[in-house]
Amino acid sequence: MADRRVLVIDNGSYECRVGWSDSKEPDLRFRNVLTKPRKDRKKEALQQGSSEGAQPAVVEAPAEIQVGNDITNIEAVRAHLKSPFERNVITNWNHQEQIFDYIFTKMGFEGQERVDHPIVLTEALANPNFCRQQMSELLFECYGIKAVSYGIDALYSWEHYQQRRQKISDALLISFGYSTTHVIPVLGGKLQLEHVRRLNVGGYHIITYLFRLMQMKYPVHLNAITISRMEKLVHEHCHVAVDYREELVKWAQMDYYDEHIMKIQLPYNAVTATNALLTAEQKQEKRRELAHRLLEIKNRREREKLREDEQQLFVYNKLRQLYEQQKLEKFERALQQQQIGTLEDLDALIATINSRIKRAQDRAQSAPRPSKQQEKLDKMPKPPAGVSQADWLAELHGKREELLGRKQARQQQRSEQAKRHTHAAQQRMRIISSLAKSEKRRKANGEEEDDGFGMNDNDWDVYKRINRYNDDSDSDADNEQLLEFEKILSHYDANFDVSNSNAQAQTAAENYQLHFGVEDIRVPEILFQPSMIGCSEAGLSELIAFVLKLFTAEEQQRLVEHVYLTGGCAQFKGLKDRLAKELLEMRPFQSKFSIYESDEPSLSAWLGACVHAEEPNFGHSLTTRQDHQEYGSEFFREHRASNLFYPTPKD
Amino acid sequence: MEAKPKRSFKRPFAFPKNCVYRPLRQISNMERNLKLPAERPTYFTLNAPPSLVPAKKYSDISGLPAPYADPHTKLRFANADEYASMQHMPSDIINGYLTVRGYTSAVG
Repeated sequence: MADRRVLVIDNGSYECRVGWSDSKEPDLRFRNVLTKPRKDRKKEALQQGSSEGAQPAVVEAPAEIQVGNDITNIEAVRAHLKSPFERNVITNWNHQEQIFDYIFTKMGFEGQERVDHPIVLTEALANPNFCRQQMSELLFECYGIKAVSYGIDALYSWEHYQQRRQKISDALLISFGYSTTHVIPVLGGKLQLEHVRRLNVGGYHIITYLFRLMQMKYPVHLNAITISRMEKLVHEHCHVAVDYREELVKWAQMDYYDEHIMKIQLPYNAVTATNALLTAEQKQEKRRELAHRLLEIKNRREREKLREDEQQLFVYNKLRQLYEQQKLEKFERALQQQQIGTLEDLDALIATINSRIKRAQDRAQSAPRPSKQQEKLDKMPKPPAGVSQADWLAELHGKREELLGRKQARQQQRSEQAKRHTHAAQQRMRIISSLAKSEKRRKANGEEEDDGFGMNDNDWDVYKRINRYNDDSDSDADNEQLLEFEKILSHYDANFDVSNSNAQAQTAAENYQLHFGVEDIRVPEILFQPSMIGCSEAGLSELIAFVLKLFTAEEQQRLVEHVYLTGGCAQFKGLKDRLAKELLEMRPFQSKFSIYESDEPSLSAWLGACVHAEEPNFGHSLTTRQDHQEYGSEFFREHRASNLFYPTPKD
Repeated sequence: MEAKPKRSFKRPFAFPKNCVYRPLRQISNMERNLKLPAERPTYFTLNAPPSLVPAKKYSDISGLPAPYADPHTKLRFANADEYASMQHMPSDIINGYLTVRGYTSAVG
């Protein structure tokens, strides 16, 4: 058993790393996800395969399910991605089986009868017995492995760190995972399982938080903001603020913002963008060009037709001559060749072709018809006599501004009226009540008592003022006039643009930029303040304080002397400084503590597991097939880096 | 049920049908029904305790410290500019911001 190579699998919820324990780095790394191509796509692949002459069976197998690195474009199948994990625990065993199939195929077990190697597999801290039972059954019964050793990634990582330096018996491990963050106290080289605490916030939450923030900040680019892009942003540009509040205050200043803002260019299509940028004049020029080209095509086709007709006419006329020269036999044969019935038919054909040619010639000679474009131009309002075009346009501009102002004022009033307790709303209520009062008085008296309302046309405006909706006749008329003005202006004034007449011209590319500012510290901050994403759990520093309080003062001191950071999210810049600041605040005055970072935050768990597998007494930590059959499927052998075994009570 | 691709290193094996997928919540219930001794740690006893520090308030839009909240939309904001931009926000974005923060109104 001992001479066999050990296969080490760090089965993380973000990434899975697989390799032999005697190699320097994992041979296989992949995102722990799988996807099933949709039915129609599968069929397509099948059809393609059969049309190329390949055997359908060969095509079918790879098209079935894609795992990890086989997924070529992860964004295309984002909605169909499946993971065996829920948080950091494996719950879907069908998916896990697919993942194992993928691993063992890639590691070259195809063709062998069983996976005949010991396996080191990482699992969640305090993995429920039920899950381990399923895992053991899958490994022993389905893949026929000989032995397995379960361990915890954070502890393996810690082992890796110690192997590089020295043995350290007491430490406080903080493991930053994809779905969870653990605070793990280790005393005397032993895991203090009952005092471990888990914050259910991790890299996944950070990425999704950024994703949703960006989507809401830029609803226009909804489709361009993808999880993959956000992941890249988080990996490369986010950092943990040492003093979050202080940095926020800095960001609130405009100068600081302008200096430090990061602009992320999204891909954009230059062709459509330039089209939008053209001025009205250029657009018209383009349209004219297009019309010209179309006209040319039409003319050419007509000329061709004319030539054809002329040739045909020439042939028919020859036939006619044959008839007139009394060469009847030849004439009959020729008629049959041309598929013409009788002499009358021939005459009719000649007549129609003649008239067609005449029409075409007439058309070519006559002057071109006035185009519709010209008609439209004629209908366009012209500046009134005695006023120069520039003055007229300026006047129109003024009128348009006035209309826009009025429109805005109305909108303002409406939006204010929609809410209670505003001045506008109160005004409205007052008018309504006074109107109602006068009506009532009339009815009580029984006789018509004219208060003079309506004598003046302006009296009716009160109804307009209390109208909640902007659909009165005034605004309709205004809108019509506005449209008319805009039409004229856009015709005469090339620089006039309806959508943003006063906004300065921006280049198109700038419209496709994401501004990435506060987000770089805001997003990772959810580790320290889970309340930002509506999670009621204690933040990381509060959690560390909580865990420390479970120990005596002397033990606490031993723990904080080695605070060890590991896991993918431990790579955030500034994380160590932030934790140093938090620890300084929570520890007694002038007490000592120190923080160490993993050399390889995301790989160290795998490397540590290799260290463990290479040890001479590794055999003792293996759960063998015999153990599995003897003690039941939830049994496993404990070792330095494993969970503790608590058998499920039998009733 | 579709046929699994044949692989030489596998033996015929299938989980009982009700064991193929069990969500974490069900596993939690299973463990609770076992009536384990209180001091014994399980996956579900290791959850972080609820926070006792009052949650800090940040603007939903910019993330800056937010001294104000709009009683109408319930959004938090840091300054007048943000308030102005909130006025033109469609309701789905407002709701999006609220759900990201985990806000649920009592009325629903």
